[in-house]
Amino acid sequence: MDRMNEELPRGLRVALDALEARAAKRAAAVDPERVAARVLERLRRGGAEAPRQVWWARPAALRIAAAVVLLVAAGVVVSRAPSRAPGAVRLEVSISAMDSLSSGQLEAVLQAATEVRAVADSVLPTSSAASLDDLSEQQLETLLASLNGAEG
Amino acid sequence: MGTPAVAVVPDGDLIARYLAGDELAAAELVRRHATALARFIAAHGAPDDELEDLTQEAFFKAFRALASFRGGASFRTWLLAIGGNVLKDRRRRWRRTQVVELTPEIRDPSGDPGAQAEAGWTAERLEEGIGKLARLQREVFLMRAQQGLEYAEIASGLGISEGAARVHYHHAVKRLKAWIA
Repeated sequence: MDRMNEELPRGLRVALDALEARAAKRAAAVDPERVAARVLERLRRGGAEAPRQVWWARPAALRIAAAVVLLVAAGVVVSRAPSRAPGAVRLEVSISAMDSLSSGQLEAVLQAATEVRAVADSVLPTSSAASLDDLSEQQLETLLASLNGAEG
Repeated sequence: MGTPAVAVVPDGDLIARYLAGDELAAAELVRRHATALARFIAAHGAPDDELEDLTQEAFFKAFRALASFRGGASFRTWLLAIGGNVLKDRRRRWRRTQVVELTPEIRDPSGDPGAQAEAGWTAERLEEGIGKLARLQREVFLMRAQQGLEYAEIASGLGISEGAARVHYHHAVKRLKAWIA
């Protein structure tokens, strides 16, 4: 670390030394033996355990969430072209999509949907007749990533 | 006459032994790298009460993915990169729960209180600045400046080019220098 430190401006080097001293002190409270025991226990118990996925990353939930997004986008289209009345389509999608959501999931999806207007135009196909089948898995991911915000 | 040198089993051999079913080899890998990983995580601003859990989580994920470890980077660098991913997920949760104070100040009862306060402030200020960096800048900076890794090693561990690693480091240093000025 000393050699690397020589590359740093003095003020930053001093700050890094202070941070490192503090990190080392805090890391000393981590017991490697305890960590090893717990890791091994978890590996024995759940070595084949499926990786935990947030609910919206599951393919079914992804499509459901995207359905809600499309509903909102459809609202945008309707507001721009009042002569079109896609209400029937919206009803069909909403019934089939919402059945499998818990109330908590539904609430989260709807909350996310309220934020979608700003990004929908840039992500969704421009056709007003767009449906879920028009979106690739990647587009669905992009759509939800847009909702989820940029990662810091 | 000195103490006879004890042959250190390379990480690669321990990995092969673990993959063949030897749990003791995994425990040895944890013993060998847990402190460095915990320091890396601590410098990212992880709260004290989550430090061991994050360390454990990174090892767990690493062992589960060990079959895919190709050895382009060292096991430690690969582990640090996994630690960075674990932190990324956890940061989302911190943001959702609006955790503001990530680390309480640790004071050493010995020594000059004034100097300690100054060092504590400086460390906190840098930690805050590190937390504001983009993820790759943050990881490259800590891998280089804290862990002392070479650019080629960092690049291999993070799956980026060596040039990109240099650029991220340069930007991180520039931003942090301005932050703590």
